[in-house]
Amino acid sequence: MYQIIVFFILIILPNRMFSQIKTSELLPENMNGWEMSDTARLYSGEEIFDYMDGAGEIYRTYNFQNLTVQRYACPSQEEILVEIFDMGSARNAYGVSTYMHGRGTGVSIGQNGEYKLGLLTFWKDKYFVCVQIEKENTEASRTVFDIGKSISNAIPSKGAIPEIIGLLPKNKIEEKSIRYFFRYEILNIHYFVADKNILNLNDSTDGVLVKLKNDKSTILFIGYPDKEQTDSAYDSFIAHYMPDSKGKGIVETENKKWTACVKEQNYLLINFDSPTKEQAVITIDTFKRRLQ
Amino acid sequence: MTHIITRRDFLRKTGAATIIAAAGVPLFAQEGAQKKSKVILIRHQNIVDKDGRVDQKVFEQMLDEVMVKLFDSKTHEAAWKQIIKPTDIVGIKSNKWKYLPTPAEVENTLKARLRSVGVQEENISIDDQGVLRNPVFLKATALINARPMRAHHWAGVSGCLKNYIMFTPEPSDLHPDSCVDLGSLYNLPIVKGKTRLNVLLMLTPQFNCLGPHHFDKEFVWQYKGLLVGTDPVALDSVGLKIIEAKRRQYFKEDLPIRPSPKHIAAAEQKHGVGVADMKKIELIKLGWNEGVLI
Repeated sequence: MYQIIVFFILIILPNRMFSQIKTSELLPENMNGWEMSDTARLYSGEEIFDYMDGAGEIYRTYNFQNLTVQRYACPSQEEILVEIFDMGSARNAYGVSTYMHGRGTGVSIGQNGEYKLGLLTFWKDKYFVCVQIEKENTEASRTVFDIGKSISNAIPSKGAIPEIIGLLPKNKIEEKSIRYFFRYEILNIHYFVADKNILNLNDSTDGVLVKLKNDKSTILFIGYPDKEQTDSAYDSFIAHYMPDSKGKGIVETENKKWTACVKEQNYLLINFDSPTKEQAVITIDTFKRRLQ
Repeated sequence: MTHIITRRDFLRKTGAATIIAAAGVPLFAQEGAQKKSKVILIRHQNIVDKDGRVDQKVFEQMLDEVMVKLFDSKTHEAAWKQIIKPTDIVGIKSNKWKYLPTPAEVENTLKARLRSVGVQEENISIDDQGVLRNPVFLKATALINARPMRAHHWAGVSGCLKNYIMFTPEPSDLHPDSCVDLGSLYNLPIVKGKTRLNVLLMLTPQFNCLGPHHFDKEFVWQYKGLLVGTDPVALDSVGLKIIEAKRRQYFKEDLPIRPSPKHIAAAEQKHGVGVADMKKIELIKLGWNEGVLI
């Protein structure tokens, strides 16, 4: 009897509940007089390079799955270009959104919505979305926002922000400067540390780079899956970056500023370019207390 | 054990702002005795209008003047004859990036100059992404490289070296480490020894980029210049200096280009396809001088 009931429930419930939403289903057919001007194009894996050249590496580094591109046209108006990146997980989508976050004005569309010079970006769940026009005008900009809202509403759930972000002391950091990553190639784009992976970053680690409000120094905060990996990364960093610290984890660097590094539980905390030794110790301590 | 280069190596050697140009290549590479690479920078106030459209007549004048100076010739025709034979099969490698493409006026002028020295119409082709399927490029005896310079999200900057990435069937193979090995493209059999002229367009260069695929008018300025030479590395190196100078002017601080455009130094030191060191480059400036930045 139980099997029969389950069978009927499966028949009655909409297919959508059992299959993943197709990205193209998130797109509105039209908006404020703009219509889809072509069929949506899908780029998977390395095909992303056909669409955006080497810049596709950034998405690939965040484990990009596929990209849906849709253009909208309206007579005598700007073409609107929509790109929806399926990043496979909220973690990846959040990460790629931080890659370029903080340069525009915040808007309440999706998660971390931002608008600048005709480009609206946001992330939600596993998606990172860009809606853009080349030249701004009131009507086209309004439609960019409306398309963005429509896509955001079509994505049923929000994505969880990586836990490590919640460990940052919000009152001490410039939130717009947060960059989240798990590969050293991305770290080096934002802040060059070394030409090799001396911090043992990989898909199972959580990396955050952020600027401090008070002294504009930089914090690199990395979470590792276990103590063994944390210890190994700490030893590697000390050996390669500050061998002259004699194991103390703090050193004056060649630009007359200070770099300090500590490990705490499964985390590594590094403060680059602190103005003084004392300030570096205070900064590290502030972050460390959040972990205890 | 492999030597690891850290941020501190750059602080020690050059200061933080120049982490940039050399990361990933030998820091203390020995300088060989080399002939200087000649690079011509020419600028004209009227080469582009306020919307960035190119004036073809002005471009023709600029190119002709450059050719005379670059090849020490009496006329531009004589200069072209030094590098192109009527029997040559010539591919003009342009760039189609929609926000900042090689303008049609530039492509047309280059083609017209090739025709003027006797190259047959059917032996000239202009292409970007289809070069490996283009019969003219596949049997080309000469290449001309023409594209605009811009900040690039993965290579730091995109200039002459980056423009040849479509000559490899697997462009993504060159993406690791911020495209450090772009110089290797000039050693591919389909390319090696064939490039007779490089034209790096500095008409409206983009000096900063905000994200992986966003063109931003805020970071484009009307420099109204061309860099022309036979050494793609030297052109990219000079172009980079101009971009860096513009960034200092705009941001009012040394804000390093991210990622580091280290492929330029590597093209000299690792792949030996040109000269990146400014001390080994002879830069000749012609024309409008206001805001030249170099």
